[in-house]
Amino acid sequence: MREVLIQLWKDKFARIALIVLGVIYLALFFADFLAPYTKDFSDRSMAYVPPSKIFTIDENGKFSRPYTYNYIREFDQQNLEMKYKLDRSKKYYLKFFAQGQSYKFLGLIPMKRHLVTVEPNGRLFLLGSDINGRDVFSRLLFGGRISMTIGFLALFVLFPIGLLYGGISGYLGGKIDAIMMRFAEAVMSIPSFYLLIILASILPSGMTSIQRFILIVIILALIGWAGFARVVRGMVLSIKNQEFVQAAKSIGQSKLGIIIKHILPQTTSFVIVAMTLSVPSYILSESGLSFLGLGIQQPDASWGNMLKEAQEFTNIIYRPWLLTPGFLIFVAVLSFNMIGDTIRDILDPKSKVK
Amino acid sequence: MKWVVYIILVLVIVMGLLKSCINRDIPETTSFQNTIQTTKEIIYPEDQKTITIDGVDYLQSQAPVGNFGGALTSSTIGEGPKTFNPFNSKDNISSIMSEIMYDGLLTTHPISGQPIPKLAKSFTISDDGKDYIINLRKGLKWSDGKPITADDVVFTWRDIIFAGFGNTSTRDSIIIDGKLPTVEKIDNYTVKFTTPKPYAPFVRMLSTPIAPKHIFMPAVKKGTEYFETFLSTNTRPRDFVISGAFKLKEYVPAQRVVYERNPNYYIINKDNKKLPYLDKLVYLIVGDLNNEVLKFEAKEIDTISLQGSKVARYKAMESYSDFTIHNLGPDTGTMYLAMNLNNRKNDKGEFYVKPEKQIWFQDVNFRRAVDLVVDRKNIVLNIANGIGAPLFTAESLNSIFLNKNLQPYDKNIDKAKELLKQSNFSWDKNGQLYDKFGNRVEFDMLTNAGNTEREAIGVMVKQDLEDLGMKVNFKPIEFNSLVNKLVNTLDWDMVIMGFTGSPIEPNGGKNVMMSDGTLHVYNMRLAKDKNSPRYNFEKRIDELFTKGALATKFEDRKKYYDEYQQIIYDEKPFIYLYAPTRIIAIRNKFKNIFPTSLGGVTYNIEEIFIDNEIQNDKRSK
Repeated sequence: MREVLIQLWKDKFARIALIVLGVIYLALFFADFLAPYTKDFSDRSMAYVPPSKIFTIDENGKFSRPYTYNYIREFDQQNLEMKYKLDRSKKYYLKFFAQGQSYKFLGLIPMKRHLVTVEPNGRLFLLGSDINGRDVFSRLLFGGRISMTIGFLALFVLFPIGLLYGGISGYLGGKIDAIMMRFAEAVMSIPSFYLLIILASILPSGMTSIQRFILIVIILALIGWAGFARVVRGMVLSIKNQEFVQAAKSIGQSKLGIIIKHILPQTTSFVIVAMTLSVPSYILSESGLSFLGLGIQQPDASWGNMLKEAQEFTNIIYRPWLLTPGFLIFVAVLSFNMIGDTIRDILDPKSKVK
Repeated sequence: MKWVVYIILVLVIVMGLLKSCINRDIPETTSFQNTIQTTKEIIYPEDQKTITIDGVDYLQSQAPVGNFGGALTSSTIGEGPKTFNPFNSKDNISSIMSEIMYDGLLTTHPISGQPIPKLAKSFTISDDGKDYIINLRKGLKWSDGKPITADDVVFTWRDIIFAGFGNTSTRDSIIIDGKLPTVEKIDNYTVKFTTPKPYAPFVRMLSTPIAPKHIFMPAVKKGTEYFETFLSTNTRPRDFVISGAFKLKEYVPAQRVVYERNPNYYIINKDNKKLPYLDKLVYLIVGDLNNEVLKFEAKEIDTISLQGSKVARYKAMESYSDFTIHNLGPDTGTMYLAMNLNNRKNDKGEFYVKPEKQIWFQDVNFRRAVDLVVDRKNIVLNIANGIGAPLFTAESLNSIFLNKNLQPYDKNIDKAKELLKQSNFSWDKNGQLYDKFGNRVEFDMLTNAGNTEREAIGVMVKQDLEDLGMKVNFKPIEFNSLVNKLVNTLDWDMVIMGFTGSPIEPNGGKNVMMSDGTLHVYNMRLAKDKNSPRYNFEKRIDELFTKGALATKFEDRKKYYDEYQQIIYDEKPFIYLYAPTRIIAIRNKFKNIFPTSLGGVTYNIEEIFIDNEIQNDKRSK
């Protein structure tokens, strides 16, 4: 295992991907501290403002502590347009490691320190604000917590089922194998998209959007294990005739014991590769579902539902900062895929394309 | 060698970062240059008038004379028409598409909103408000040359509408005390309608299209089932016999509907030439709003309705593009917040709304407090991009029945808290709101998921209500399950939804406002509860709607509808939020465009023509 990590680190692209993902997860872990605002903070008079401009040289050309101005918003009756301009009457200096809005670190320890805040009444929107005047940067961090962990949740459901099912089916063989595989194929042919739309309408509305979404992901995983189980079964078929399995059989170990202790560990390399490669697909499905209104709902944040706001094409032209969650999804998915690819090459040198 | 490259790379990145940190504060010297556009005052032409030439009663347009030819391409979003039979249409698109071909006896004046004659030459209503005498134009012909006479009118009303063919909503809306009006032919060009009681909304019904008897008669004889398929989207265009300005030429499913000019139309211009000017009228069937915008930019369509943030973009393009943007003022669509005032039990003997919540929602102070903290100003600015107006009344802002005495007001938390105190609500030290029995004020607020506008409104309203110490669980849910909750299971607390209304006839809103209406959202009564007790204000609104329909004079009716708006304004069963502004862009080459709030831009389609000079300009470029 250690060797795999060392080899992974040696690969240039995998190293970059690991660093990127490490930074993202670290940032999400310390989101409360890094974000200037809490996820629900909003200033209505500052909806859709562009990213705050931070100045370090003042108007007289002298160095100064970094400061920013607030935006003022005006509706231009003539051109039927919102106009934003800097309110230069008051400077707001940035404060580092200062007291800001209170939060609970890790949901337990009440804290008030933030990496960067601004003087009272000033607004620091590093990546602009959304339709409700909420800070996009802060919401990116809080939304990422959901988007980037939901994939692992699905894996915890999907892999144990798939491994055990494929293992039993492949080892026992014969009629049991035939029946189990036909059942898996039946599960695979459930149209997941329509199932989700139906589910969205029949799930009890009393659930919070996170509970609902976790349920949807679990259901997705409950459909998704079948494909994985089929591959595992194929591998088990070839492993079960090897000598060490015969030996375990001859000393009288139980069938389940043989499957779990001797056969399944042989599939580790495939499992690791499959896991790293399926995390991004769940990140994408979260964003897809939230985009369609089936996933995380307002006022909760996720990258998918934040991206939904940029759907209208005038938003893409006038408010490009709303696209940042899309960029992060892209980066995260790319990194996971690169790592998955490299691990596959390391564990299975024969398949490496030279 | 390699490390040199690395060092250079790192240096470049560090310097780049430093550069972005060092940001000089240079005040913008350019102030806003407001390019003041002189919006041209629209000079509306005089009303169209009847003029008789060679025994034919033409309707003469008073708009400037134009030239003939050309086409106007418009668009419709969705699946396109499902039928071209105006009596079968159940959806808006089908109605529009079929009513282009069949004129009604009357129409609505685009500015005043009063009924004016169209296919009829004139009409009179008797003093008791029961008899409607319609004089038809002499010498008018169907597109196959047969004359349009009183027989067609009587046939349309008696044998199609009253007999219950096709979509019966027109018939259902004019049943008064279980009786239908009667229609009789007085002579070839005079028809008399009699309603069992005076019933003012009936005059609006006279804009229903008139069908050619000789074409529809065989279909009617074959029964209702055959009638449902009569003049469907599969009918050959040449089989249509019409009276309208345009006739179907081609229908390609999911692509376009093309109409051609009716050469025998009865509206003429000031030179006594037969209108319409345009040769063709085309509707492209487009999938969604974004698609429509792209088609407009590609000049495939000539006119488009604009929403929200798109308006600013087009307004900026207007000065150097070939279209003009018309601001038609507030739209009839309204967005509202409602609480569930239901006080009944379901089949299992449980209350639809929990008893403690019932006490809050049925308390007018609570509803007024909610109303007072809703930040309408910022809803308009943020969600509608400023393209809208705050709304406080049940009738839309362009309605001719709008009660103008109802004043708008601003958000006022102190006053809201005062009202809650009056009803013995109290706050604990954390500012959380409790009712007089010590229950924490907490409820669900629903809207339909996937609608960015309503979700954003929900987020704002939730924050506003939390300022009062309430706990609001905001849940956008899937549209169909939301509707099911609102009309069947009735287990909801608060909802954000929208209505569309009519700016000319408040009686259309009776299914929402009357206590047994099918969309009486705030206190929906299922069939088993039809006779359950009403709130006093519900009773009064029922009375006002009944009286308003029976009164005949506009002034008398207005009094009743003013009072109903006053009651909604005071009692707040619906908390109206805002009405979007209707903005329409149309290409400059089209002339005789006289936009009005009630009619829109293309209501006078027969008068619209294409200015050849502008077209030639384009070609010479």
